Amino acid sequence: MSNPASEPLNTPLNAAVSKPRRRPIRFPWLLTYAIGYLIFLYLPVLLLPLFSFNDGTIVAFPMKGFTLKWYAQLGEQDTLLQAMVNSLIVGAVTALVATSLGLFAARAYVRYRFKGRELSEGLVMLPLVIPGIIVASSMLVLFISLGLKPSLTTVILGHVFVALPFAVSIMKSAFDDFDQSLEEAAFDLGESVIGTFRRVTLPIVAPGIVASLLVTFTVSFDEFVLAFFLSGNQPTLPVYIWSQIRFPAKLPNTLALGSLLLLASVLLLLTAEYFRRRSAKSA
Amino acid sequence: MTTQNIIEISGVEKRFGTFTAVRDLNLTLKEGEFFSLLGPSGCGKTTALRMIAGFQDHDAGTICIGGQDMAHIPANKRPTNMVFQSYAIFPHLNVGDNVAFGLRKLKLGKAETDARVAEALEMVELGGLQSRKATELSGGQRQRVALARALVMRPKVLLLDEPLSALDKNLREAMQFEMRRLQQKLGITFVMVTHDQYEAMTMSDRIGVMFKGQLKQVDKPEVLYARPCSQEVAAFIGGMNFLDAAVTREVNGKLHADVQGFGPLSIDVNPNVARRGPQLLAGIRPEQLEISAQKPDGYDGYLQGTVTNAAFYGENVHYHVTAGGLPQPIAVSVPNYFHTVDHKQGDPVWLGVQNASVIDLGAREA
Repeated sequence: MSNPASEPLNTPLNAAVSKPRRRPIRFPWLLTYAIGYLIFLYLPVLLLPLFSFNDGTIVAFPMKGFTLKWYAQLGEQDTLLQAMVNSLIVGAVTALVATSLGLFAARAYVRYRFKGRELSEGLVMLPLVIPGIIVASSMLVLFISLGLKPSLTTVILGHVFVALPFAVSIMKSAFDDFDQSLEEAAFDLGESVIGTFRRVTLPIVAPGIVASLLVTFTVSFDEFVLAFFLSGNQPTLPVYIWSQIRFPAKLPNTLALGSLLLLASVLLLLTAEYFRRRSAKSA
Repeated sequence: MTTQNIIEISGVEKRFGTFTAVRDLNLTLKEGEFFSLLGPSGCGKTTALRMIAGFQDHDAGTICIGGQDMAHIPANKRPTNMVFQSYAIFPHLNVGDNVAFGLRKLKLGKAETDARVAEALEMVELGGLQSRKATELSGGQRQRVALARALVMRPKVLLLDEPLSALDKNLREAMQFEMRRLQQKLGITFVMVTHDQYEAMTMSDRIGVMFKGQLKQVDKPEVLYARPCSQEVAAFIGGMNFLDAAVTREVNGKLHADVQGFGPLSIDVNPNVARRGPQLLAGIRPEQLEISAQKPDGYDGYLQGTVTNAAFYGENVHYHVTAGGLPQPIAVSVPNYFHTVDHKQGDPVWLGVQNASVIDLGAREA
C-alpha cells in the first residue's frame, strides 16, 4: 500500500543522494586567489634572503652561485655597526617609554569610566592612521622651532608617538580580563596602593608588558620615515640601509643585512605573540 | 557578661549621581555575631558591605568599628577583611603565598608567618596544601583559600560578599554549616551579604532585610519568619498566602477580623508592623494550613475549595487550592510521611487554620 503522505518527503531525499555524483568538478577559484595573494605579498620578501646568498652584485636570474661573504663583510663596516647601535638604543628607549605610558593608559581605559575617555582613546590610536610623512615633517618643524636639533632623542620622541597605539592596545587586552577584585583584595589585606600595583597588578599583566616591549621595539627598529627626518647625522639602521642602496656595489651587503633584520623581526613578533596569549590566558 | 558593640552604623547614606543606593542605614552589630544582609539584587546590600570594608565612602552618617570612627580610613587600614564573590585568589601565587599575602606586610618573620598560614589552612581543612597552584584549585577550595586568607589577618569583622553563590547546591549547603561552625569557634563577627533567604536563615544570628536601599527589618531568623514587618519582607522570606481582612474590633492585643475565605479569626497584633491602613493584610504560611478531604476538627477557620495543582517536592507536597471569591489559589505545603500525594487535581478539599497561624502584616502594599 502506498502512502501518499510519504511521497513529498522521499523526493528531495532521492535528489540529495544522487546530487554528489552529478556535480561537476569545479575550478578552485578561492584557493587560487588565496595562493596568488600570498605570493604577491611574500615573494618580494623572499627574494631578499635568496639574493643575499648570490655570488654576484647584480640582482637578476640566473644566480651566480652560493656565498656567505656578504654576511661576513657586514661585521667590518663601522658606520653600519654604529647605525645598528643607534637603532638598538632608540628601539630600547622607545619600547620602555611607550610601554610604561601604555600600561597606565590601558589600565585607566579598562578600569575607569571618565569624561573624555573615548576621545582620549581615539587620540592615542590616531598615529596608526596619520600618514608618517605628515607626522615626520610636522615634528621636524616643531622640534627645530623648540630648539631641539635632529638627533636620536628626537627620533625616540617620534617613535614613542607611533609605538604608543600598539602598547595601549596590547596592554588593554592584558587588563580586559583582569578581575578588579584582585586589586581590592590586596588593598583589603593591608597592602598600600603602590604595593598592590607591584605585588598584584604588575605580575599578572607581566606577559602583556613583555609582549608590548617586544612589539614596540620592533615598530621602532623598522621605522624609516620619522627616523629619516629626525635623525640628523645619527642614522638608524633603516636610514643607513636607504643611504647604501645608492651604491650598486653595496647592494648585496644591504640584502644580507635586510635578511637578518627580517629574521630578527619575525622572531621578536612570534615571541611577543606567545607572551600576549599567555597574558590573556592567565588573567 | 555583656557583649560589646563591634559595628555601629548610624544615618549612613550613599548616592551614585542622582541614585541613592543606601539611605538612612542604622545598624548595631554585637561582637561575635553572624549577621546577614538579605535582599534582592540592586537593593544596596553590597554597597553597604563595601562601605563597611572601606571600598566606598559614605555621603552621610557615621560608621564606627570597634568604637573608632571609620571616616576617611581606607580599606587597608580597617580592622576588617573581606571574602569576595569571585574569591579574588591571586592567580600568580600558590595557596601558601595567597594566605600569607597580608601577613608579609606585618613583617612577622618567616617562622610565625608560616605557622599562621598553616593554622589558617588547617582551619579551613586545606592543611598541607601550601604549595598547590592557585589555578589548580576547585571552586570549593578557592572559597576556603579566600576564607583562610582573610581569617589569617585576625580581623575584628569578616565581611563576606555572596560567598557561596559560585558553588553548586550540595557544596553550598555543606559550606553553610562549615562556615557557621568556624564563625562560632573563632568568635569573630561575620557580616554576610546574600540574596538567598535559606542561606541567611541557616547561618545567621540575625538578618537585616533590605529593599531599595533601605533596611526594612532586623531580627532573628525565626522572628523574621513568624513576624515579618511588611508584605514585601513576608513575600521575600519563605512562602506566604496573602489574604485581605476586615478588622471588626481590637481587644487586648488581638485583632478580630473577617479574613477573606476563612471567615472571622482572632489575630495577634504584630509589633513589628511598619505601616497601618484601613484594610488589614493577613498572612498564612503554606505549612501552617491543614488540608483534608473531610472537614478537620479543632481549627478556628475553615475554607472549602478545589485542588488545582499538586506537586511532589520530596520532603513535602505542595498543593494549590482555589475557592470562590479568592483572587488567587491558596498554597498548602504538607510534609511527606507516606510517599503519597493524597489529593489529586480537581479533588474537593477542606483547609483548616488556627488563630495563632495567621500573621498580621499591617497594610497591603501596592
